[in-house]
Amino acid sequence: MTTTPAPSLVEVRDIDKSFALKGGGSYLALQGIDLEIHKGEFISLIGHSGCGKSTLLNMIAGLDLPSEGTVLLDGEAIKRPGPDKMVVFQNYSLLPWLSVRENIALAVDEVMGKIGSSERDAIVQEHIDMVGLGPAAAKLPLQLSGGMRQRVAIARALAIRPKLLLLDEPFGALDALTRGNLQEKLMQICNEHELTAVMVTHDVDEAVLLSDRIVMLTNGPGSNIGGILEVDIPRPRTRLEVVHHPSYYSLRSEIIYFLNRQKRVKQWRSRPHAVVARHGLEKVNLDLGFLPLAASAPLAVAKAHGLFAKHGLDAVSLIRETSWRGIVDGLVDGTLDASLMPAGMPTWMTAGGHGGTPLPIVTPLTLSRNGNGITLGRRLAEQGVRTVEDYRAYLKSHEREPHTMGIVHETSMHNLLLRYWLAANGIDPDKDVHLQALPPAQMLADLKDGSIDGYCVGAPWLDRAIRDGHGIAVAGDLAIWPGHPAKVLGLREDWAVAYPNTHIALTKALLEACQYCADPAHWAELSELLSDRRYLGIKPEMIRFSEASADVDRGGKESEAAVPHHLFFGEGLNRPSRTEHLWMMTQMARWAEIPLPRNWVEILERVCQVGVFSTAARELGLEALSYQRQGIELFDGQAFNADDPIGYLNSQTIKRDFSIAEIPLASPRRA
Amino acid sequence: MVPTPASRKAASSSPLGWLTKSSANWLPPLLGTGGFLLLWQILSMTGLIALPAPASLFTEERTRTLILYPFYDRGGLDKGLFWQTLASLSRVAQGYTLAAIVGIAVGITIGLKPGINRAFDPLFQFLRMVAPLAWVPIALVLFQKNQPAAIFVIFITAIWPILINTAEGVRQIPQDYRNVALVLQMSSRRFFTKVLIPSALPYIFTGLRISIGLAWLAIIAAEIVMPGSVGIGFFVWDAYQQNYVGEIVLGVIWIGAIGLVLDRLMAWLQTRISPGQ
Repeated sequence: MTTTPAPSLVEVRDIDKSFALKGGGSYLALQGIDLEIHKGEFISLIGHSGCGKSTLLNMIAGLDLPSEGTVLLDGEAIKRPGPDKMVVFQNYSLLPWLSVRENIALAVDEVMGKIGSSERDAIVQEHIDMVGLGPAAAKLPLQLSGGMRQRVAIARALAIRPKLLLLDEPFGALDALTRGNLQEKLMQICNEHELTAVMVTHDVDEAVLLSDRIVMLTNGPGSNIGGILEVDIPRPRTRLEVVHHPSYYSLRSEIIYFLNRQKRVKQWRSRPHAVVARHGLEKVNLDLGFLPLAASAPLAVAKAHGLFAKHGLDAVSLIRETSWRGIVDGLVDGTLDASLMPAGMPTWMTAGGHGGTPLPIVTPLTLSRNGNGITLGRRLAEQGVRTVEDYRAYLKSHEREPHTMGIVHETSMHNLLLRYWLAANGIDPDKDVHLQALPPAQMLADLKDGSIDGYCVGAPWLDRAIRDGHGIAVAGDLAIWPGHPAKVLGLREDWAVAYPNTHIALTKALLEACQYCADPAHWAELSELLSDRRYLGIKPEMIRFSEASADVDRGGKESEAAVPHHLFFGEGLNRPSRTEHLWMMTQMARWAEIPLPRNWVEILERVCQVGVFSTAARELGLEALSYQRQGIELFDGQAFNADDPIGYLNSQTIKRDFSIAEIPLASPRRA
Repeated sequence: MVPTPASRKAASSSPLGWLTKSSANWLPPLLGTGGFLLLWQILSMTGLIALPAPASLFTEERTRTLILYPFYDRGGLDKGLFWQTLASLSRVAQGYTLAAIVGIAVGITIGLKPGINRAFDPLFQFLRMVAPLAWVPIALVLFQKNQPAAIFVIFITAIWPILINTAEGVRQIPQDYRNVALVLQMSSRRFFTKVLIPSALPYIFTGLRISIGLAWLAIIAAEIVMPGSVGIGFFVWDAYQQNYVGEIVLGVIWIGAIGLVLDRLMAWLQTRISPGQ
């Protein structure tokens, strides 16, 4: 793949490792691991306990042999342990009956027996000094603290000049302060001696701080490499520099996302998953995904008021994810039955926007509308930026600085609305500013410290910054597209085909919940309900649905922009609209998130499960809801012609080079 | 009265005060032992048991002589308790030393080689269940002479705890230490002296301590059937033959006391050699 023949010191070639079990049979710990480690590189292996990361390290050390495949060191297969690949063990592994000096000398004498004893003594002394243990050299390990013992172990390992240093959770048992000091020490030593090292850790920050590459292992059985992250933070590093490096948070959140995902899959695996059919429904045990948002109210209500059970779904669990990416992965690997999702996600996944093969996702129900707004930071407000015209002028005058705005996900209306709003006002959302997907809670922090200009996000995060005085609202729902779709119920098409009655029952339960949420008399209760730690875990007064806020003492326009105008239920609000989904698909194509599908008619037909919605509405006695919405017109007055999306795209001045492609979809099949 | 801090301090600084404070330590054993002796005295005096009363050990001529003059030697078998004990202890020393050498060596071997362990473990488990007395006839047949037979009985009784504990100690060497040895590719000599022995030492000592007790138990069995030799075991047996019940009681008390001293001695040695483990 790479053209530069970088010298690779260690090659792990397609190894499997299985262990014989006591009761017969075997446990496959690792499967198909491929890894190259270059000279001078620092690699971290990270993963949950029991994912086989220590096993992998042991195989590189030669303490264990792979069941299949080989591990090469300098081109030679590793068959046995040796001092050229020295290990620093988690529990120090010092011999308690030998003093610090004797422990190190034991290794040096054994490995460097050929050189004179005075030279060996010098090496021992040098390494005792290197880790700063001169005064404790005569002490027994039991008389030392954990941190000091680990320093001895590191000194012992380095004293014999290994080609490869292997560290097995070296700082796992230490307190935070000692750990920090030792990490810096190790980093410094590695830099000075250009060591090649592999470290097993479960500490995300430690991995980012020390590593050149971070290898993330999936959970067993059959663990493999789930991803490798390059840490592009220049060396020499200091902890403070690393924390403030722009890549730090994205690396960190990438690893945390990965680990959480692994945990979720493990939890899911540990529960019984036999499909439970009951009450004439094909499946009554459902896992529904959601994110901590005010728009999750229908799901919370349906659960709290027993609406799922009322429609026969006795065993519904609500699974809180921290990011939309988790929802995408949950649907892809089947750990979620259905989920709350941004309105653009069904067509986006159906068109393969998530990077995999196109996965047809259908939506029978629009759960909420509105609830979004665009916020600019206080730093800009203080420089007089109060409107989009001000912002455009500001961008012009501050061209050299990077300008970042936060969005939640590329398929969410936040992204599409923000881009539309910027473009309609003559700001190119990719060239003039940079849009970055961030977790909502982090946006607030970033806005506070000024590393982003602003963001477009949903309630309660929308009004939070304004209330706390960290930003101003420049455009709300009403100013951009009143009544725009926000969140929908989404599920896999093959799931829908396999469980048609469950599909209708779920739609009914949530439609009824939407009706409940729409009543302003219930909003206080909803705020209370959502404030629970299972949902949002913030104060109930932070969660608002539509009331104007009294404590925003700015101009009338601003306070309106800062108020979410959630719509959960009403004529034409809940029925999935082909026109709206086409608009979103067209916008995503405009920004090159997906190609515009040539077979867009077929895709819309399959994504929008109007039939399921109509059946559900009819069975609930809500026929009136089937009313068709009118065409789409946003604040700029430009009409969207649903019969000619390509013409619409061509007419836009600010856009990316969009492509048009046929999205091959398999005919709907049972899961 | 509630003691004031001052009075409490005064009480603890005087010897009497210290005695009062530590009474929880010495009072119960004293009461227990004293009560037992008292009960024994009463039972003997009322004629409920045939054993002589504890007090009679001092009132009776024969036993009083034995107590007061442990070093007398009238030639032949008529020696003081000190000489009797010394003869027994020297047999124990020989048998026990042999048991320690063989036990530790074999223990290390089977601890390191699971295959050998599997081969011999059933045999060892079986042999160690054979009572010391049962070895006596076999020993006599094997060696024909009293002295080597007695040493053999001690050896065969004492070896099992040493062997089994040593093997366990070797097996229990933490994987970490083994890994260190593996990674450093330590020579077997260095592994033996720097890792194996220090690591297994606590186990070996546990075995040695159990064995010293067993060896002392076995000496009695061995000597009882060794007519005509000096030794505390035969002394008891001889007293029984001649119906000197007082001497039997005295001999038994003596044996118990020596056993206790040996055990304490090993415990002390253990703390000296492998401290803090």
